[in-house]
This record gives sequence, structure tokens and C-alpha cells, in this order.
Amino acid sequence: MRQPAPTEAELEVLDPDGSFRNRLVEDRARLAAVAAQKPSKTKLAELGRIVHQLAGAAGTFGYAEIGERAIALDDKLIDGAMVAEVTPLVGDLLAALAAV
Amino acid sequence: MTLDLTGAGRTALGRDGRSETALQARILVVEDDADIASLLGRELRGLGHTVDAVRLAEDALQAARGNDYALMIIDLGLPDGDGLDLVREMRRRAIEVPILMLTARRKVEDRVIGLSCGADDYLVKPFAVSEVRARVSALLRRPSRLRGNRVAIANLVVDCDALEAIVEGVSLPLAFKQYQLLELLVRRKNHMTPKRMIEETLYGFDDEVSANSIEAHVSKLRRALRAAGVGVNIETRRGIGYRLVDLGVAAAN
Repeated sequence: MRQPAPTEAELEVLDPDGSFRNRLVEDRARLAAVAAQKPSKTKLAELGRIVHQLAGAAGTFGYAEIGERAIALDDKLIDGAMVAEVTPLVGDLLAALAAV
Repeated sequence: MTLDLTGAGRTALGRDGRSETALQARILVVEDDADIASLLGRELRGLGHTVDAVRLAEDALQAARGNDYALMIIDLGLPDGDGLDLVREMRRRAIEVPILMLTARRKVEDRVIGLSCGADDYLVKPFAVSEVRARVSALLRRPSRLRGNRVAIANLVVDCDALEAIVEGVSLPLAFKQYQLLELLVRRKNHMTPKRMIEETLYGFDDEVSANSIEAHVSKLRRALRAAGVGVNIETRRGIGYRLVDLGVAAAN
């Protein structure tokens, strides 16, 4: 079973200067700000941009849980889900990001 | 354009971008995610490869025009366009370098489209760095004959199977010796081609070669290229040989 977050040894190899970890903190703030907006196409598009990048990158840097939650949300957004439908998944992702 | 040319493991490259002595190669990474690009750069340099990184499709085309890469790793979602279009454009320009496509698009149909448009391999994000290393090594092991037999510079494509030079889709009428000379110069683009090498390519052991025959062929070829609007120049190094350069790249430098 994959670990939900990278070990210290993995971080030394994958993210030696901590830039990806810092990005996750920034992404959480951006995601929370977008989630607080009223439902709109712009909100969905911005949500899609943040989540798609997270879905591709988080698992690569060892953040398996964030990656899996981002992928689940990204798949919904790609399939054209409405804001109300993805709101619980956004909450799940924000919770995972909060643990970083 | 930002090219990172500081990678360790720089080495003399053969005409297809591979090292003459080892499987160390020059690799172009086209990725707009700075963290992923940085990770790939570290990993590949750790294997002794030289890595150039760009984040835009336009910069990738420019880099491919001026450098001989042994491999390209291209992300599908680029800020100025779709990576699929970039791969198609690379192939249209007869850039036959192996391409490993990288994407967060996970559906089977996305992978099929990626491979159909000219990529040699496809890796879905998130990925394990060990898998990238393995795929890169596998692609670099492929013999060059599997990578097509077309070479290109500027708006000129030389189809070495059809023995034909093509400028923007139109065949260039050349005498056979001019074609042979052109193919040699394009294969050795940006490198000095000694006069002796040209003589050995154009003539057999028993052929009599007059003192100025190579100069005459070069002169005719220059005229033909100029008349067809090919964006290249054949530079002369007196007493040494000739070098074919892309005028667009030369101007940019």
C-alpha cells in the first residue's frame, strides 16, 4: 500500500529544496479562495486548472493521498460535473492539503 | 526562450544527438510545470544526460530547430498550445527524434491519440521517476533506423529514402550529385564538413575529380537553394570545407 505522504528520504530525492511542498501550501490557499466563490463557469475553469496540475504532480512527488483526491476531482471536472456535484470532493482535497 | 544548458554530463554528440562513446544524450524537456521539469532535469542529468528545458511549444520548435536532440519529453498541456499539435508539427518538419509524451490525461483514448499523432511512448502523470528513467533508456536504445530517414533544416526536408529534397511540400529539382551534397550537408548541419568527406561521398575511388569540382557543385547548390527560397546558407571555410546553417537560427544568435 502506498504511503499517503512522502518520507523524508523520498523528499530528499524528489523535492530537495521544498519547492513542491511550498506550492502545495499555495495551492491550498488558491483552492480555498476559488471554492468560496459563487458557482460560475469561471470558478469551474479555475478549479479545473488547479486540480489538473495537482492530479498530475502530487503523486509524482510522493503525496499519494492528495494526488488520488485530485485525480478523483479532476475526472469529475473533465466529465463536465457541476459545481454542486464536485463540492464534497473539493472539501476532501482541501482536507488532504491541510495535512501538508 | 530559456534554455538550461548547465547540465552535468555534457559530452560530444554524434550526428543523431547521441554520444559517440556512451548512451549519454541531449534531451529536450517541454514542460510548463516548473517542479516536474526540475525533477526530470535532475533525474536525467543524474544519468549523465544533458537536458534543455522549455515551457512553451513555440520555444520547443525553436530549440529543435537549432539543436540535435536524441530524445524529447513533451507534456500535453502547454500554455501556448496542445502538446499533440506540437508533436504533429515536429513530425511534419521531419524531426524524427523519439518523443516521450507526458500527460495527466489518463483515458485510454488519450493515450491512443498521443501515440497516433507521432509520439513513441506515453507516460501518465503521476509517474514514478524510476519509470521515466527506464522509458528514457529504452527509447535511447532504439536504433536510429527505426526513427525514420528524413532530415531537415529550416524549411527544407531531405527524404533519404526517396532521394528527394522538399521545400514546403514542393520537390526541389537537383542533379544527383547536388542532392548527395545537400544530404551530406543537412546530415552534418551546423558542423563543418571537410572537403575530403564531400569528395568521398560524391565520387568513387576511380573517379577523376577536377580541382574545382566541389566548389562548382556547392555553387550550383547554393543557387538552387536560393532560388527555391530555402532559409539556409552554405558557409565556406577556405581550405577546410563547408557548413550548412539555418539562417533563422543564425539571425537569432
